[in-house]
Amino acid sequence: MPPSIDRRKFLLVSALASVSAACASERPRRPSAASAVPLSRTDSPAALPLHDDIPMIANGLSPEKGGTLKLLNYAEYISPDVVKKFGKEHGVEVEITTFTTQEEAIAKLRTAGAAFDVWFPTPDVIAKAAVGKLLQPLNKTYLPNLGNAWPQLQNPFYDEGARYSAPYNAYTTGIGYRADKVKDATGYDLLWNPAYKGKAYLIDDPREALSLAMLKNGSLEINTEDPAKIAQAGAWLTELVGLMSIKLGITAYQYVPEGQATVHHCWSGDMINAQSYLPKGVDADVLGYWYPSDTTGVVGTDSVAVPRTATKPVLAHMLINHLLDNAVAQENFSYTGYQPALTAITPEKMVTDEFVTEQLKTAIVTPDVYARSQQIFQISPAAEALWNDAWATFKAGQ
Amino acid sequence: MTRRGRTGLWAALAAPGTLWIVALFAVPFYAVAAVAFGYTDPVFNSPVPEWDPRYWDFTAFNEIVRRSVSGDLRPVFLRTLLYVLLALAVCMLVGYPVAYYLARHAGRRRGLLLALILTPWWVNYITRMLAWLNLLQDDGYVNDLLLLTRLVDEPVRWLSGNPVTVVLALVYGYIPFFIVPLFSSLDRIDERLLEAARDLGCSGRTAFWHVTLPLSRSGLMTAGAVTALPMFGDYYTNTLVSGSPTTTMVANQIEFYLLGGNRKELGASLVLLMSALLMVLMAYYLVASRRAEEVAA
Repeated sequence: MPPSIDRRKFLLVSALASVSAACASERPRRPSAASAVPLSRTDSPAALPLHDDIPMIANGLSPEKGGTLKLLNYAEYISPDVVKKFGKEHGVEVEITTFTTQEEAIAKLRTAGAAFDVWFPTPDVIAKAAVGKLLQPLNKTYLPNLGNAWPQLQNPFYDEGARYSAPYNAYTTGIGYRADKVKDATGYDLLWNPAYKGKAYLIDDPREALSLAMLKNGSLEINTEDPAKIAQAGAWLTELVGLMSIKLGITAYQYVPEGQATVHHCWSGDMINAQSYLPKGVDADVLGYWYPSDTTGVVGTDSVAVPRTATKPVLAHMLINHLLDNAVAQENFSYTGYQPALTAITPEKMVTDEFVTEQLKTAIVTPDVYARSQQIFQISPAAEALWNDAWATFKAGQ
Repeated sequence: MTRRGRTGLWAALAAPGTLWIVALFAVPFYAVAAVAFGYTDPVFNSPVPEWDPRYWDFTAFNEIVRRSVSGDLRPVFLRTLLYVLLALAVCMLVGYPVAYYLARHAGRRRGLLLALILTPWWVNYITRMLAWLNLLQDDGYVNDLLLLTRLVDEPVRWLSGNPVTVVLALVYGYIPFFIVPLFSSLDRIDERLLEAARDLGCSGRTAFWHVTLPLSRSGLMTAGAVTALPMFGDYYTNTLVSGSPTTTMVANQIEFYLLGGNRKELGASLVLLMSALLMVLMAYYLVASRRAEEVAA
């Protein structure tokens, strides 16, 4: 690039910088290290604040009639049949608005005049949403089926006393592989094995991928805020560029059955879904999912909550209760591929019910797996910036 | 009608266009700047645009400039520039002869040929790219053909973060935008100028070199600008055919910052920096094409 452009750019920056210095400002600044929201951990649960101006609904109300029940969810993350039947039973239309990231969902919830009845947040954003007055407390008298959920999630660490949320699905992060090409699925080093060079993928997500590098190298500190450790994880990932020609993606459910990937860092639900993406003539036995049997795995859950703006809060509670029903949950599972966090869903039952092949039993999550595994927690904004920087550097591929 | 009244009429006629540009370019662009120079909500960690320039904060923009000059974004910028230049070179090598043939020698079939060139673009972009993904698999038809003709000894890893694939995919995606403006400029060249050149003793080759090529310069510049701009902003082609850190382009990093995480101000700053660089290129194009037109006139 000619030096004149560099100079021009430099002049522009200095001009802008002097403008910014000239105007004194009292506005809030960039994220500070301290977060305004409590950071919950499995060993230090957070009770989320209740607000006087947001009461829970009274006991024993009858469901709202007519109109539209509005859901805010990821795409393809609830069975249309389940939703349709529920709507028919209660005489309402059900409308699903989708989002791709939770940030987008929060932006939609914060839009003035927007009203949603049921939202499907991940645990890491529930605290923000509660502090930011986007949610209403749940009235458990409407949720008798909450007892079907895993014991740990009836009173979860991210929302002590389940004030604002009920559990929805659970998943682990492991490695999906082609069982016809991988002789032994030994561990995370599958992704560091040059035999699969050019056919290896990482989840395109900073926290998931950098955590993988830490766990592979024996570190469990996947929520660290230490810059050196985060940078080290980035360096470990960078090994994969030369060694494996590593690629990034989130379509393991498609790439593994189609053979484009031999080993794919992925979520358990991806491999369960992969069963319906097999090309003609390819047997379901080619699909494998490796998940550590010790403490070095990553587990995650999703939840469901009622936004403050709900116009049909009673019906919203009833839908949540409906989704926690064992039979309904299993029907929903068969559509989404993501397993409800209910005690009735066991690996053995899923194999007998022909939900998954014997080989994919490892993709079913149990309360034991949940208890022994690691979780990706919400971290301070400053630390999140460090994780993003490490990821951006890895992605830049020097 | 008075002169003044006429000016008013022209201004009125330009109004819809002006409105269009303000609503669909100026306002969104200002919004990007407001995010880049804005602040972060302490509860939701989401960007809060700062509409009042007196309160703009340039920390994020400075960080992006620093990283682009000497940090992790530097190779990304250089790589982007290299890919786009290579893709333009291929567009020129492939597109010029095609446009030339269409304008000069296609005769009655030129309408049909032009339509044929554009036909694949009736199919949705993603569908076409997905089709290529199948063709370029390690055991796909492209490799079958290369192996059969003994051009290679083992399958080419087209889709394993191969820069060649990214450049070729960019060419494939944008070449019609190169051919069409070039064709129209070649088509406008007065045949009599070439006849004059031949009368004055030029061979076919020298006539092309001294008459056709200089006269098509402005067409080439337009074609280059029209193809280069979207190539600089393209991230999806790269994601589809490579998805590897070895081929990351600027737009991929913009996508990363804007679609996820809590550093939208960095993504917005990167957009501004990229736009500033493209504006420099655009300004050069405007000056150079005016000069080229003057030469032609």
